[in-house]
Amino acid sequence: MAQVITRPAPAAPRARPRGRRAWRDILVGWSFILPNFAGFLLFTIIPMLTAFALAFLKWDSYSDPEWVGLDNFARMLGDENFHVALRNTLFYAAGHIPLTLAAALGLAIALNRKLRGVPFFRTAAFFPYITSLVAVAVVWNMLFNPTAGPINQVLEAIGVSQPPRWVASKDWAMPAVVITSVWRDMGYYMVLYLAGLQTIPKEYYEAARVDGANAWQRFWGITVPSLRPTTFFVAVMLTIQSFKVLDLIVVMTDGGPGRSTLVLAQLVYREGITEGRFGYSSAIALVLFLIVLTVTVVQFRINERRSAS
Amino acid sequence: MISSDISASAAGRRPVLRTLAAVAALSLAATACGGSKDDAGGDGGNVTLSVTVWNMGKTPEFKALFDAFEAANPGIKVKPVDILADDYADKVTTMLAGGDDTDVITMKNVTDYSRYSSRGQLTELTDLAKAPEAAQLAGLDAFDVGGKYYALPYRQDFWLLYYNKKLFDQAGAKYPGTLTWDEYVKLAQQLTKDTGGKKVYGTYQHTWRSVVQAIAAAQTGGDQLGGEYSFFADQYAVALGLQKAGATLDFGTASAQKSDYKTMFETGATAMLPMGTWYIANLLSGKAEGKIDVDWAIAPMPQRPGATGVTTFGSPTAFAVNKKAEHADAAKKFVQFAAGKAGAEALSGIGVVPAFKSPEITEAYFKLKGMPADETSKKAFEPDKVVLEMPVSDKTSDVDTILKEEHELIMVGEKSAADGIRSMSERVKSEVLN
Amino acid sequence: MTALVRRVLAYAALTVMAALVLVPFAWMLSSSLKRDNEVFTVPIQWIPNELRWSNFVDIWERIPLLTYLGNSMFLSVTITVLQVLSGSFAAYGFSKVRFPGRDALFLAYIATIAVPWQAYMVPQYIMMQKADLTNTHLAIILLQAFGAFGVFLMRQYYMSIPDELCEAARIDGLSEYGIYRRIMLPLSKPALASLALLTFVNTWNDYMGPFIYLTDNDLWTVQLGLRSFIGQYDAEYAMMMTGATLSVLPILAVFLLGQRYFIQGIATSGLKG
Repeated sequence: MAQVITRPAPAAPRARPRGRRAWRDILVGWSFILPNFAGFLLFTIIPMLTAFALAFLKWDSYSDPEWVGLDNFARMLGDENFHVALRNTLFYAAGHIPLTLAAALGLAIALNRKLRGVPFFRTAAFFPYITSLVAVAVVWNMLFNPTAGPINQVLEAIGVSQPPRWVASKDWAMPAVVITSVWRDMGYYMVLYLAGLQTIPKEYYEAARVDGANAWQRFWGITVPSLRPTTFFVAVMLTIQSFKVLDLIVVMTDGGPGRSTLVLAQLVYREGITEGRFGYSSAIALVLFLIVLTVTVVQFRINERRSAS
Repeated sequence: MISSDISASAAGRRPVLRTLAAVAALSLAATACGGSKDDAGGDGGNVTLSVTVWNMGKTPEFKALFDAFEAANPGIKVKPVDILADDYADKVTTMLAGGDDTDVITMKNVTDYSRYSSRGQLTELTDLAKAPEAAQLAGLDAFDVGGKYYALPYRQDFWLLYYNKKLFDQAGAKYPGTLTWDEYVKLAQQLTKDTGGKKVYGTYQHTWRSVVQAIAAAQTGGDQLGGEYSFFADQYAVALGLQKAGATLDFGTASAQKSDYKTMFETGATAMLPMGTWYIANLLSGKAEGKIDVDWAIAPMPQRPGATGVTTFGSPTAFAVNKKAEHADAAKKFVQFAAGKAGAEALSGIGVVPAFKSPEITEAYFKLKGMPADETSKKAFEPDKVVLEMPVSDKTSDVDTILKEEHELIMVGEKSAADGIRSMSERVKSEVLN
Repeated sequence: MTALVRRVLAYAALTVMAALVLVPFAWMLSSSLKRDNEVFTVPIQWIPNELRWSNFVDIWERIPLLTYLGNSMFLSVTITVLQVLSGSFAAYGFSKVRFPGRDALFLAYIATIAVPWQAYMVPQYIMMQKADLTNTHLAIILLQAFGAFGVFLMRQYYMSIPDELCEAARIDGLSEYGIYRRIMLPLSKPALASLALLTFVNTWNDYMGPFIYLTDNDLWTVQLGLRSFIGQYDAEYAMMMTGATLSVLPILAVFLLGQRYFIQGIATSGLKG
């Protein structure tokens, strides 16, 4: 059926006549969106906007709020904790996003075949995501142990004379956290890639094989372009998750040693719930939101340009 | 009741933003001033008193107190509001922000107390704190906020030195009395051994900063909120010396692998353990149930050379009455009961150290099955001076965070003790006290 | 011969990967068979002194685990169903119907995922308290069933389904709802399966949401039950790991059920029509 249809002129949808048709589209569009949007607006967006408004107030969760204008933002400029947390978060994101993306795609391709035992291996790959965080932290910290840990023993065996001290060092704690989190999240994003791989028609590969393309060419020529919507989704979600990472870090290093793994979300939490400075906490959250929004918009632009080309 | 500048500002330069802020302020403030219901407990009829607790199932002291209170006050039933211990403060903060009317709020530590009392979320209990019976309450001072009290302690834990008798016997060492820190370090080295692949450490210094910092403050008279921390130096020398000699599990490993002081002590991996008195109840019940096989006793915390008397640190746990309590009178009655003699009897019966001090209570405590009966243990249980673990003020938790961060850096060897102490002072002065 | 070598290599690589991935789980399993004070030994003791299978019996008496499992199951299933339905429905609007402001709205939608929940947790709680919804399962359902995550995931999937298919269906006289129901839903089974799986897992493992909103013990979920083994100064780690092991089982069942849909060919067979 699909083959018979001739592609409509690219400009056609936009050239639709205004008036009744346009109104109909608006109504139909919103009717699809509304069930989700109504719930989301009420229970998430409204509290969120309230929190954003708090960024301009001083509030301890109990007494009357007090208008302070941009004080909370001014404070951020001079707050060493904020600078450290921002730097750490960016570092984490820079490592976590590309590595997880590559690992998840690799896993999905390796496990997207009809091989006996594949369901077992797929399940295994998803296990890190469902293993108790305490177990993850303890075992990885053991692997990273500076003197007795297997990772450093391997490094020494291959000739690294002074292997990093990982979680016991302020420079290497964050790389250790990044490695652990890539390991933990790859199975999660693999699931998304597995779903994406199902959309690629087999015929593409068959045709390419007939044309004599090798595996590498097929991967770059067919798999990667066909997966673009999924990759876009994974990249955006990874960005968002990286910028608000919290759980794993709290259990693995609790921001330490010192503040070497302190991240923005932890600062938001600490300033708000723990210290009762809800205004300042909201201001940090607002900045975090704006950073991610900017990155996401850029990702959208790039994606649009790529799909257009 | 909204501060006037907000309503005025709604017409300001950024109308959308300011209106939004004003709306937020309104909706939040409306909760804040939703008044409390009048106390229904006055009629003496059936009152159900709600009390926030952590881990009801794992914390027998609550049940002991509630049972005793209900028996003494037939018209009142206690309903625990069970909250997980791990994030107890977060949930209580959120509940109170939402205008919750739970009657009694348990103060897990004095830092939380300072927060709730400074925001005006607790009912003033100064009359109870000034009552004659309250004079016997250890740790009551911690709850003095400018001459007013908003909570009464019912439990007062302090630190002492646990030791494993068998490991001392094996090493041919004498049981400790009141040690100096030098003697403690030497003893720890003597007790450390590595036989047949199983390492026994002389002592185990847990990763909490108090193990170094609070004891230093208590014994030197230093102020942890003062911004000047040279008084930590000797204690860091002790801690780092132990670590360097291999006489304690090193900090990096202990914190990364979440080492557990109970595991260290109960599996015979350490001969000594400085720890709080809360652990006694645990050891007693564990031994009674056959889960623990350690022959233990207690000694006072090691002291600085030339010290007179035994000085240690501790922290009280208290009950407070919610400002919006549904049954304020019954709630006050409960707080008073728990902090009084009857409450103390119920607590000491299960091995918990009550805040209410009296010779009879201590005597009864040492009669518990499994308690060591030697003189040193008894002496350890009655230190001459118990200093509050961390002073209470609105700066406490900010300073706490900085001291913890720098403590980690010193203990993993990223900074020397001197450098760490210097940056503690600099950071506390610039980030908190400025 | 190359085929055989390739196969052996593939299995070898997969086995190494599986081992790497399962080590912490093995620790969890081993800990679940220990005494509480044997869990955090340094160095790690992989094989317990004695295997305490009794932990798996005791835990049912120590905490009302059955109630907790029931609550977790109820919440996870309800939220997953709502999320999948409302998410895929909205995704159709965002991908196959053109109307002004659509893309901007969509962008704002997903950007909200970036705000840490801790930042608006208290205002949200105050709101729920006023609506008298705290301490109910309904609160958790309302908070988590309508998220941007599902909408985003499904939209991306629908984008990869050619517009021509919809156009053809429109010409055939199907309404937009008909297209969604008869064409998009059947075609998007792999994406629906992965959305359902991920939503289920996230809800099942969520701790902070239920912790803040659910106070009565008989409303608690498994994750709260597990944390109830942590006391003020100590914890029963073996019991926690026993519970954690048990709580993985339902997720495993859902995963095995869901991954049947990740088999190449389902989506394309529809397209070939």
